Amino acid sequence: MGRTRSSTSRHRISYVFVSGYVLLALAFGVLPTLYAVRMSFTTSEGTFSGVENFSRVIDDFRFWPAVQHVAAFVAIWLVALLVLVTVLALLVHQIGVRWLSSGVRFVYYIPGALAGASAVVLWLFVLDPTVSPVSGVLHAFGFDSFVQTISPGNLPVIFAVMAFWTGAGGWIVVMYGALNSIPHEVLEAARIDGAGVVRTALHIQLPMLRKWISYMAIISLAAGTQLFVEPRVLSQASHGVVPNDYSLNQLAYLFAFKQQDLNGSAAIAVMLLVVSLSLSVFFVVRGGLFERD
Amino acid sequence: MTRQPSRAVLRQPRHLLVAAAVAASLLTVSACSGSSDEGGSDGSTDAYGFDAVEQDPSAPITVWVDASRQPAVDAFEEANPDVKLNVETYDGGADGSGSFQTKIEAFNQAGSGWPDVVFSTQNNDAAWASQGTEPFAAPVDKGLFDSSFLDGFTEGALAPLTVDGTVYGLRNDLAPTVAWYDKSLMDQFGYTPPTTWEEYEALGTTVATEHPGYIVGAIGDSWTPEVYFWGGQAPMNTVTGADEFSADASDPKTVAMAEVLDGLNDAGVLAQESVFSPEFLQKHAGKVLMLPGPVWYSGALFQNADSLNAAPGTMTAGVPLSWDGEDPAAGNVGGGTWFVSQHSANLEAAKEFLTFVTSDDRYQVDLAPGLPAYSAAADKWLAKQAEANFFTSDFVDNVGTAATMVWDGWGYPRFSQESVWAKAVTPELAGGESLVDLLPTWETALKNEAQANGYKVS
Amino acid sequence: MTPGAWLGRVAMIVVAVFFVQFFVIPIVWLLLASTKSPHDLITTGPFTAGSFSDLAANWNALVTFQDGIVFRWLGNSTYYSLAALVITLVTTVPAGYALALSSFRGRHLLLTTTLVVMLIPNTALVLPIFLELSTVGLIGKPLAAILPFSFFPFGVYLTYIYFSTSVPRDLLDAARIDGCGELAVFLRVAMPLATPVIALVGFFSFVANWNNFFLPFLTVPGKGSPIQVGLTDLLSNVPSFNPTAAGVTAIELPTLAVATLLSVLPVLLIFLFSQRFLVAGLTAGGTKE
Repeated sequence: MGRTRSSTSRHRISYVFVSGYVLLALAFGVLPTLYAVRMSFTTSEGTFSGVENFSRVIDDFRFWPAVQHVAAFVAIWLVALLVLVTVLALLVHQIGVRWLSSGVRFVYYIPGALAGASAVVLWLFVLDPTVSPVSGVLHAFGFDSFVQTISPGNLPVIFAVMAFWTGAGGWIVVMYGALNSIPHEVLEAARIDGAGVVRTALHIQLPMLRKWISYMAIISLAAGTQLFVEPRVLSQASHGVVPNDYSLNQLAYLFAFKQQDLNGSAAIAVMLLVVSLSLSVFFVVRGGLFERD
Repeated sequence: MTRQPSRAVLRQPRHLLVAAAVAASLLTVSACSGSSDEGGSDGSTDAYGFDAVEQDPSAPITVWVDASRQPAVDAFEEANPDVKLNVETYDGGADGSGSFQTKIEAFNQAGSGWPDVVFSTQNNDAAWASQGTEPFAAPVDKGLFDSSFLDGFTEGALAPLTVDGTVYGLRNDLAPTVAWYDKSLMDQFGYTPPTTWEEYEALGTTVATEHPGYIVGAIGDSWTPEVYFWGGQAPMNTVTGADEFSADASDPKTVAMAEVLDGLNDAGVLAQESVFSPEFLQKHAGKVLMLPGPVWYSGALFQNADSLNAAPGTMTAGVPLSWDGEDPAAGNVGGGTWFVSQHSANLEAAKEFLTFVTSDDRYQVDLAPGLPAYSAAADKWLAKQAEANFFTSDFVDNVGTAATMVWDGWGYPRFSQESVWAKAVTPELAGGESLVDLLPTWETALKNEAQANGYKVS
Repeated sequence: MTPGAWLGRVAMIVVAVFFVQFFVIPIVWLLLASTKSPHDLITTGPFTAGSFSDLAANWNALVTFQDGIVFRWLGNSTYYSLAALVITLVTTVPAGYALALSSFRGRHLLLTTTLVVMLIPNTALVLPIFLELSTVGLIGKPLAAILPFSFFPFGVYLTYIYFSTSVPRDLLDAARIDGCGELAVFLRVAMPLATPVIALVGFFSFVANWNNFFLPFLTVPGKGSPIQVGLTDLLSNVPSFNPTAAGVTAIELPTLAVATLLSVLPVLLIFLFSQRFLVAGLTAGGTKE
């Protein structure tokens, strides 16, 4: 009897324990989403307007170019992440010397400290041949001035390199951790069977990483669609040669702050949110990474 | 959650009705009592032509300037140590970055935080700053400034700031384009300075063969269209009525100008870099034979130790170029503008500041890098230039003439010509495309931008 | 070793070293650039050091810019990040605890929602949050940054994992049998055991808040800007990147380098001093299966 009572009170107090978090989740997760959805389907006067906001935004001449820019960037970035992070994680895992392995991992990880505007400002220097630490590389590609380096065709690659530089290290560490969870005996057995490094990687390690790789892909895909600070800062630094409407989030920003069209802005935000949300739900339901409950 | 009604809420009809009802009742009350004190604000609608907030003559004013206008602020502070200023520098909206507008819109959302005075390098900001439920820019000719003061500006100087007959700011400087050239080099090479675009192109091709390495112009800046296409009377920025825009890239003058530039570009006599970039200085310092551009190149480039640093008596400004057999016309690159915020709590201080920076000799004559928009200051500035004789030949006359020649076929729309040029044309041009081929792209980009900003496009 | 394996090994070393350089060169360069004069930055080799006097000059240029507004930006960043950190911890740890160790109505829903929201990039909610805050008139107030920062589902996930794997239920039950109330069990037994995960959540929350650009850029404009947003204000005063800044009070490139360094310093220091702990933490989610 007492047990039941205590477990009831335990459950009751759980509501107290989660209440703060639930409030924040409502205020800054659920409510803004609902509010943005409502705004995207209404006029600035608050009357229902159907898909009018969406069609206006999609018909805007800047919309499809922005979609293409973001898609190109995400494609390049994803391939780079998938290939290089996996290879580098396997590589670091191969390093037998303990301090060396952890040292290398740390060096890969450290740019993660530089995110947001700081990283972009740092990359402005790297991309400007007059001051760049790798000006030789830039000149070798035929880029003699900042404007040439950031010509439109190069931008997806540049943003991908920047994003890879800041983010890859974290993923390498995660993959490394996952690799470590493969029992030593399994790898040892493979070695005794005469499997080389490559075969071990392909047949034993990669399958173990599969979940994590898809996790990384989903998260990065969703994050990539949100491109904002990188093109914004580059635009500011390039006298507008990198347009201020390069990405979808920049376009949403312009709708809100330049055209005073908050409803149009909400429409873009909702579209982006739908992309992120579907990817996320798909992964939580199908991914299996969080099958704990 | 609704602690304070925000603008977004106020836009909704129910609230609008309430607001209208309140306004109407206030009107009735003031009509009955015969006083306009009911608004509760010290500076009433009558005094300035808008609803000023409660005034505090000792409040510090926040001033936004670009870095180049810092000397104006310093001069004012020295002359008026009792007025408290908070100075913030920003990009001045350069290259049509739109930062002025987007920052103000952010404060509109916040409902506070506006600067009292803003300097903008662009001349089209009045188009948006005068609009909206809560316009930012205070009208200056409805009581804030005396008409005698406003009349002191050079004729037409306030035109870019005038919307529907009301003036929303003051002009800092006039920025007509002139044909800058190096007189000593011209003499040395035995050339005659061109007066027409045709002669200009011919000179460029000659220079390319006889004196390779010298340049006759620059196309790396986002104000290239204002220098060449405005000056060349190409109808690429036609604003008719309140909301109609057109651009015609197939107009003979547009095409002719593009051909001139393509020819010169192929000959290698146009700088590709921004005139403010270190690369420009590295490559072209001492080799600028000619450089069509705004009057403010005087202080910004030639008479500037950190820039081209020309030797005294070498550079001068020719009258703007014309098409063969026609009258010359000038383009116009900015000409900075000053705005006062309608939200300012110390309009008198803001007024004092604007009066100083636009008309006082201690800035406009002694320090300003370009031709003052205030005509008394302009006369003295020109006289000072004549005396210093840094710029040779008919510099003073030609600049004065150019100021009256700005072609009126270009308007001041709500979007920036410069930002469209920067993103649609500059990278393609740098990638080796010809300007003639790019004209349709440019026209489409302009029309798209106009449409997105609510213009009817033809 | 066969020649093939030998070649393979060389290739591996080459790749590893290449990426070490890729990740580290920009940072090393930034450190060096901040010690040079503007002139030296362009004329001397990228990997030569400058001098302390130049570093001091750059520092002075930065701190005198607009009467030391950089300290205001840093102060704002600190305030927002730390205040949000506290709220995050106060809401997150009990939530993760309850989700892990008791069953209540709505638990599954809350858990799933947390997972879903956790996987959404935080920028996706910025515009909706901005629109919402604008309606309630909070834009420009410190709370407009602090409150959204405080919502940190990843923290709930981490504490949930930790409590469900690392805190034995028996221990908690034992405490209950000893007569502890639920609150006491949480505070006296669970909390002390949770120190590692609290530190971990605190770290991730602080770093995410400190580096956030988009949200404060919209919700706390002007004087309320944190350093990340301030940095881009600074950028518009750099002549190389902005023509009209070719004036007297321009910010030179090395000064911008100092500012960039300053803007990442707190996070960089935390990274350096908690490396082992961090790497362990990052892998926690994955390897504790």
